Amino acid sequence: MKSLGRFRKGEEMEKVIEISNLTKHYGKHRGVSEVSFCVEQGDIFGFLGPNGAGKSTTIRSMLGLIKYDSGSIWMFGKDSRTQQEAILREVGYMPSEAMFYPQKKVKDIIKMAADIRKRDCGEEAGMLCERLQMDTEKQIGELSLGNRKKVSIVCAMQHKPRLFIFDEPTSGLDPLMQTEFFALIREYVKAGATCMLSTHVLSEVKQYCNRVAIMREGKLQCVDEVANITKTSAKRIRIIRDGKREDFLYEGNLNELYKELMGRDIADILIEEPSLDEIFMHFYKEGEV
Amino acid sequence: MGTVYKHELKSAWKSLLVWSICVGGMGFACILLFSGVKESMGGLADSFASMGAFSEAFGMTQLSIATLPGFFASEVGTVHALGGAMFAAVLSTMMLSKEEDGHTGEFLFSLPLARGKIVLAKGGAVVTLVLLFNLVCVGLYLFGIVILGEEMPMKEFFLFQGMQVVLHLEVAAVCYGISAFQKRNKFGIGLGIVLLLYAYDLLARVVPDLEKGQWLSPFSYSNAADILSTGKVKAGAVVFGVAVLAGGFCIAYERYTKRDLAT
Repeated sequence: MKSLGRFRKGEEMEKVIEISNLTKHYGKHRGVSEVSFCVEQGDIFGFLGPNGAGKSTTIRSMLGLIKYDSGSIWMFGKDSRTQQEAILREVGYMPSEAMFYPQKKVKDIIKMAADIRKRDCGEEAGMLCERLQMDTEKQIGELSLGNRKKVSIVCAMQHKPRLFIFDEPTSGLDPLMQTEFFALIREYVKAGATCMLSTHVLSEVKQYCNRVAIMREGKLQCVDEVANITKTSAKRIRIIRDGKREDFLYEGNLNELYKELMGRDIADILIEEPSLDEIFMHFYKEGEV
Repeated sequence: MGTVYKHELKSAWKSLLVWSICVGGMGFACILLFSGVKESMGGLADSFASMGAFSEAFGMTQLSIATLPGFFASEVGTVHALGGAMFAAVLSTMMLSKEEDGHTGEFLFSLPLARGKIVLAKGGAVVTLVLLFNLVCVGLYLFGIVILGEEMPMKEFFLFQGMQVVLHLEVAAVCYGISAFQKRNKFGIGLGIVLLLYAYDLLARVVPDLEKGQWLSPFSYSNAADILSTGKVKAGAVVFGVAVLAGGFCIAYERYTKRDLAT
């Protein structure tokens, strides 16, 4: 799927992630097939898809947690197969599960992540803990999912990486913390970072992302600006004809629709732009529209 | 790499303390008990030495249980060999697999540290913990021997303890290699291997057909009765043991750096 080239101030933006024909199978089972897309500097890139669509396989391939069969992944102009360690130095990753060593304290985990990066992140970590209202003296084993997510956010952000990769970041976070989380992302992106966000929450994509990729059954269905995706020629048609209420998406020549409706007993008709949810569902469901 | 190494040492120190105090403490208590049972051992020693295959298997034909080296070999030597091997097996079988079992792999492996370095750091922690276990135990045994005031051939004693380190490291390396293939903690496999190797060594000592293959078990070159009575080790078996030790760590490295990690 071809992505649209993006220019700012007359210059092509730096490609932070370049994935070409990524293919991964788990034995006989499909992982992802021929996935290609780019994420450019300054993007807040939404990565959408139902369970089993291949989002996690793509992310895990990018991080080197799994070895992909073919294709290529370049991040910051570095090959993920040969320069994984250098790439991970520039990445802040937040997994969906946010699991840590239960016997450790929050501050130990945060320090461990900073130590492995050989960075003194004390100041930034302190600021993040304060904004996320985190008690660093607590043991990981005592924390709820939401609080473990906060630890994960601090570990992903404290070293001010060039790229954030978040896998379902807001699940388990209360609305207040979700708002704070996205405020942080916006601040880091404003300062020059890039963000890739795998999520099921469409409102997050609509509200915070500028670009989106939609995955289904291991294949990329679409990559585009969120604004372009919502500008589809498809229309939501709500109609009461011949005494029956109908509700469907229509993509095509509206004159054809008009001809189809001619001579019918139309009690009411409403033609409107489809919502992002509907577009999302359109890409999810095979052969619809 | 140092951070992961320190993290593993910190995570395992309680386990190290429990195992080394239990095994070393038992040995220490056994050594102190010797003065009390020494007199009554005189008659038992002859009986132990004339129990045919049983005496052969436990080395009682070579040493008298009425002497401290014989008593040490029959009581402390076996407990130390088995206890240490079990500690090494449990520790190293879970060393790599625990990241996937506890779902912490995504945290650790998304940090900028090559997987090979993590394997080396964790392997280093296993080696250090095995050495510390032996150090604590040897300290307690020496303390017991000093308190007891009985004579103990020190050269043979340290040779035995040295071979125990090789035995425990060999078991650890085999289990570390196995850990690299596992996605769940299965320390039962490690314990099973220890018991199997120990049973094989006992059998090889009494079954003539197995005698030639005795070197396959690391318990063959680290037997307390053999070393304390002769002051020598079976060099071939040690070489094989060291090769297995190196092989175990190499397999772990090779496998773990190439395979997909489960979440």
